Amino acid sequence: MVHLNVNKVRKDFPMLATATPQGKSLAYLDNAASTQKPRAVLEAIEGLYTGYYSNVGRGSYWPATRASQAFEYARERLAGFIHAASAKEVVFTAGATDGINKVMQSFLRPKLQPGDNVVISEQEHHANLIPWQQACRAVGAELRVVRLLSTGDLDQEHYDSLLDDRTALVALTAVSNTLGVVNPVKEMVTAAHQHGIRVLIDAAQHVGHSPTDVQAWDADFVVFSGHKMYGPTGIGVLYGKAELLRETPPMAFGGGAIRDVGFQETLFADIPHKHEPGTPNLEGAVGLAAAIEYLQGLGMRQIHEHTEHLTQYAVMRIEGQEGASILGNPKLRAPVVSFTVEGAHPHDIAGFLAEEGIAIRAGHHCTQPLMDQLGVPGTARVSFGMYNVKEEIDLLMDVLKEVHAFFA
Amino acid sequence: MNERIKGLYKTQILAHSKNPFQEGELEGATHVLQAYNSMCGDKYTLYLKIENDRVEDAYFKGYGCAISKASSSILTKKSIGKSMEELDALVRLFLKIVSAKEEVSPEDLTDEEELLAFSAAREFPEREICATMSWKVVQEELLKE
Ligand SMILES: Cc1ncc(COP(=O)(O)O)c(C=O)c1O
Repeated sequence: MVHLNVNKVRKDFPMLATATPQGKSLAYLDNAASTQKPRAVLEAIEGLYTGYYSNVGRGSYWPATRASQAFEYARERLAGFIHAASAKEVVFTAGATDGINKVMQSFLRPKLQPGDNVVISEQEHHANLIPWQQACRAVGAELRVVRLLSTGDLDQEHYDSLLDDRTALVALTAVSNTLGVVNPVKEMVTAAHQHGIRVLIDAAQHVGHSPTDVQAWDADFVVFSGHKMYGPTGIGVLYGKAELLRETPPMAFGGGAIRDVGFQETLFADIPHKHEPGTPNLEGAVGLAAAIEYLQGLGMRQIHEHTEHLTQYAVMRIEGQEGASILGNPKLRAPVVSFTVEGAHPHDIAGFLAEEGIAIRAGHHCTQPLMDQLGVPGTARVSFGMYNVKEEIDLLMDVLKEVHAFFA
Repeated sequence: MNERIKGLYKTQILAHSKNPFQEGELEGATHVLQAYNSMCGDKYTLYLKIENDRVEDAYFKGYGCAISKASSSILTKKSIGKSMEELDALVRLFLKIVSAKEEVSPEDLTDEEELLAFSAAREFPEREICATMSWKVVQEELLKE
């Protein structure tokens, strides 16, 4: 396998050439929050607005035909990227949060009965917790939460014990954005399907880092965000199996999603358009398609290999630092490492690092209940992208050493 | 390494954050306030016992960075014994000391070292909220009552 040429990759990302107001070059280690954009994405967006912009799916004139084509082409690229059976199974959303809320409102709510339950895990981001929690509270259903083992991995026996014939849905993250745990998605989906339970997978932390195959997972719904996979903000995808998207009532109502409208009733369009009323985020779709082409050009396996090496190196270095401890020791780790440094609050750590141009995240990472479980109020978190290099980890460690000395 | 950031953590701040004054719950508190920074998750509960328009006792409990902890420690310590009017003046003074928008130099505002220790926050506008979160909740929920 050819390895990733990271120095070449870095030149494709204009943001990596920026510096802090104090003149320190940016070492961007917060890729789980969002990723930087390659020039190819920016050029694709500019190309749209300067070359063929118009509304989508409306006009029959040039450039409307070209714009509509670009939108549907983006959908096909996405379908290919996640190995969906058909582009009809790809619904554009505003992001992972939007996709989860739509499945909650349109798929779950209409059938959720008092006494039913929804199963999630202790790893969930607030986005994959609060919608289900609120639905359960509104109806009088139960939210069941899969426990973690001390490694951070999900307790599979506990998971199996939570599934029963009143489980209306399982909603699980593929990767913990806080601990970096990679979950055995396929096995967990299979276990739910044995009870006839549908499964939503939050793949926000998965799609940009590892090859994703929604059919191999056999997941019923999969959500993710463009901005975490080197694409634009404000666009995301809800993948759903065709039969489920067809049986689910429209996730919102408006123009462009219809076949026939009268004052008293409407015949809705086929999927996916039925779920996409209103003028879509064409810019987002075009930018996201460009991001995918860029990723595929480099190779998802190559990208995965590169960030995996960086992660192993970071784990080794952080473990070797006096006073530092890593949270979780999962079987499989995504490029995400959460840690604490004795005597230093995560925000103080991040402050010292920011001064040297190193961007990391400190706090609860939108997983407050998980922090409570782990008994820490917050952590410092580094997360790697395809453009990160070992030297940035070395710089990180130099500062962490000073942080430890300063606060100890 | 960078001395600028170390300057933010003056001796008084480090000392207060490691060994805070007035840390704990207060039985018989007449006012319990919550200070929360949603960006980083820092969270403090402030307990005040106010009788006859005077702060008889004050404690804080919670978790946050060295700056927010030291500032909560100093806030509770300094507010004890103050009348509401004096407390209001103290809070206003502190907010000026840390505000990057304030034109008067910190040294011209006060000579109290424990308060001046926070003046470096002026150079770190992103950390101003750490210094002020507990003070602001006192101003907004107690003094504006
Ligand atoms: C695991 C996970 N799920 C969901 C989200 C929410 O994504 P967005 O804010 O793009 O909707 C995030 C973002 O941090 C995440 O890490």
